[in-house]
Amino acid sequence: MKYIKFLIVAITGFLFSSCDSDEFLNPLPDSAIVAETFFQSDADVLAGLIGIYDAVQGVNENTESSNARYNRGVQLEYLLTEHRSDNTRSKTLEGSRADFHRYIVEDDNIQSEDYWQSMYEIIFRANNVLKYVDNAEEANLNKYSAEAKFLRAYAYFNLVRLYGAVPLVTTVVGPTEKELLFTRVEESKVYEQIIADLQEGVQHLDDKHKSRASKAAAQGMLAKVYLTLPTPNYAGAKELCEAIIGTGNLELEENFRDVFYKELNNEIIFAIQYLSGNPDESQGFSSEFTSYKRQGRQDGLNIVNPNLAEDFIAYGGNRTAVSYAAFGDDADLAVPENAEVIKFLPDGSDISDSDLPTYGDSPANAGNDWIILRYSDVLLMHAEAIMEGQNTTEASAIDSYMKVRARAGFDAVDDRPNVLTIDDLLLERRVELAFENHRFFDLLRFGVAHDVLSAHAEEMGYTSYNMRRLILPIPAREINLSDGILTQNPQ
Amino acid sequence: MKNQLNIFRYTMMAVVCLSVVFLSVSCESAFEYELPEAGSIEDTSLPVAAFTYIPNAENFKTLEFNNLSTESIKYFWDFGGGNTSTDKDPSYTFVDGEGSYPVTLIAADGNDETDTLTMMVDVVDKFVPLPVTIFNGDFTDSQNDWKFTSFTGGTTSPFNSSSDGSWLNYDGTDNGSKTKGAKWTKSTSAGAYLSSNTRYAYQAIIVSPSNVERDVKYILEYEYAIKTPTEQAGVAPGGNRVISEILDGHFDDGADAVATTPLSQYVGDEVKGKTSFTLVEQEFTTNESGEVAIMIYAVTDVDLYVDNVKVYAAK
Repeated sequence: MKYIKFLIVAITGFLFSSCDSDEFLNPLPDSAIVAETFFQSDADVLAGLIGIYDAVQGVNENTESSNARYNRGVQLEYLLTEHRSDNTRSKTLEGSRADFHRYIVEDDNIQSEDYWQSMYEIIFRANNVLKYVDNAEEANLNKYSAEAKFLRAYAYFNLVRLYGAVPLVTTVVGPTEKELLFTRVEESKVYEQIIADLQEGVQHLDDKHKSRASKAAAQGMLAKVYLTLPTPNYAGAKELCEAIIGTGNLELEENFRDVFYKELNNEIIFAIQYLSGNPDESQGFSSEFTSYKRQGRQDGLNIVNPNLAEDFIAYGGNRTAVSYAAFGDDADLAVPENAEVIKFLPDGSDISDSDLPTYGDSPANAGNDWIILRYSDVLLMHAEAIMEGQNTTEASAIDSYMKVRARAGFDAVDDRPNVLTIDDLLLERRVELAFENHRFFDLLRFGVAHDVLSAHAEEMGYTSYNMRRLILPIPAREINLSDGILTQNPQ
Repeated sequence: MKNQLNIFRYTMMAVVCLSVVFLSVSCESAFEYELPEAGSIEDTSLPVAAFTYIPNAENFKTLEFNNLSTESIKYFWDFGGGNTSTDKDPSYTFVDGEGSYPVTLIAADGNDETDTLTMMVDVVDKFVPLPVTIFNGDFTDSQNDWKFTSFTGGTTSPFNSSSDGSWLNYDGTDNGSKTKGAKWTKSTSAGAYLSSNTRYAYQAIIVSPSNVERDVKYILEYEYAIKTPTEQAGVAPGGNRVISEILDGHFDDGADAVATTPLSQYVGDEVKGKTSFTLVEQEFTTNESGEVAIMIYAVTDVDLYVDNVKVYAAK
């Protein structure tokens, strides 16, 4: 035992030396801002960029069931858009999801709050990437920054059309900088920023991706922005649509159903991807659109209004059978009262038996992509840009319109009109792009939202409708946080 | 003595109780405004008055106002001439018709902070007549859509279907050859040849009604052709002619229709020959119900053709 002293010293020394690492004695404090150290390399910036798409993608309702703000992203957008148009409604009248179609959304509506927050999450992440984009390789710098700006523009374009003037944040700001975070900026300024951001996309992006920003996506979205402006830039929109058409990279799918069930097909310009069966990467809206045989936590939503079914029957062509379906007693009606959207049926769905539809193994974790921009939208925008708000006999406008009609099964010669009217175009957009969250914005853009929706509200008995309902109230939560800086829309 | 003390004690107790009650009552008024006012902050969300308006679809003089004021709950509208409203979204009829009128909106919040907006509103007569669709106006569908439901003492057959109609399609483009049309002959004529076999083409339509403020004018348009004497001999008493009428109302029985006085009548007697059509644009003023009908018939010894019947609002 005489060596015990040496042993103790040796062991103690060993223990000391093993503790002597930077990490152990200097752990990263919990309060440190990771972002400042995260972006070191080109790969890090790219990872940050991909993270913005995660914000657009949103969190599946069936994964995180909390009703509180949960960044559902694009997954609940149909409530704020389709439900507020004459296209669809909620079957039940319970809960805040049933407020949209009846025009009774108040400033405490949880889904509106969630959407607002989701859009600003996209904006925050984009601004964050832009702050650290210099760490990327020189060759990728413009591309990365254009991609982040494209997504920021996407979020602002949605916000400005739904909420009017909104706070315009283009840098990373802390929660204490309330003036910057909450001061509403007039719509024209927001549009200036959107246009500047998208123009960078047109200049620096390429057409490599469909599930990420591309040149065509930036061109298409910018064309829509130009058409949406209070004084539309028709010439600019026409040029952009023609540039997209001119590349020859895109074509209409021969079979309308394939647009929705062949992922990233020839017609898709920009889509948000989901993975079937994966709770973190899947979407919940496919199951939310079921009603007759309910799937998922929320359902009976985006139910097709009879008024839309009538338009489908008259003008839908072969799109009708693959856009909506009626089950049970409704299947026997000429115009179903309660039809369901079938553009996004989950994997393995079989609806051939209208009394016994099935929806595969994991309907609540569906993998169907969400299409943000596709080629037929661009073709119809091309016609819209040429028409400049007037009926037209211009052959090139009618050509683009007829391409979409012909795919739907109409005859390119016999069904070709001599005069293309604004009403024809709006109707065509309604049946071609139904359930893809275009209708509400189309009505606004064509300047007929109040006329169409007041008549629709009267027909459906939605007595709360008035012109103020065309703009959503700013979420009360945001106003409360702003210490009175953020102002409310007319109520 | 013990009893006396007890009485005194009760009296004291009563006095104490009364004074407590009195004190607490007097405290109430002293502290009345203190609690709510403590820590209250200034009202910085002030009302902003704003509105827009849409003319009523049926009466252009009535404007439907849409209140776009923010941060406000009470409204006061002044339309001039002592006419006011406290509705949120009132409608108001400017009886003097077209013109520019000042309208004032005062928006107030719960603290009676107010904002006032005065805007000139324009009352403009933007009347758009109802469009009219004629069914089977080009006669490609033979006699369909042109028959009376019944005809006491006559026939509901409206005309002879013919393949010798105009060379023009219904949309005005050249067909390159004849299209289908309607035909009248001596045996189906009215006038001197009136019989139970006389044929009348009839179609009920709905147009924008006229009223005291406005005469609404439409045009009945069609083409007709009458064979020349070289093509076919014979002239009816009064000349070979087509007669087009706009009837005042809708009729089930052809006999009732023929007996009425039409709102408008036109006689076409241009003789140019088969397939050489003459265009008629017959203007008429609508009645007060907006329910009118087209009736076309002929008095002719020779074959007479009609095609491409249209009705549209006059410019």
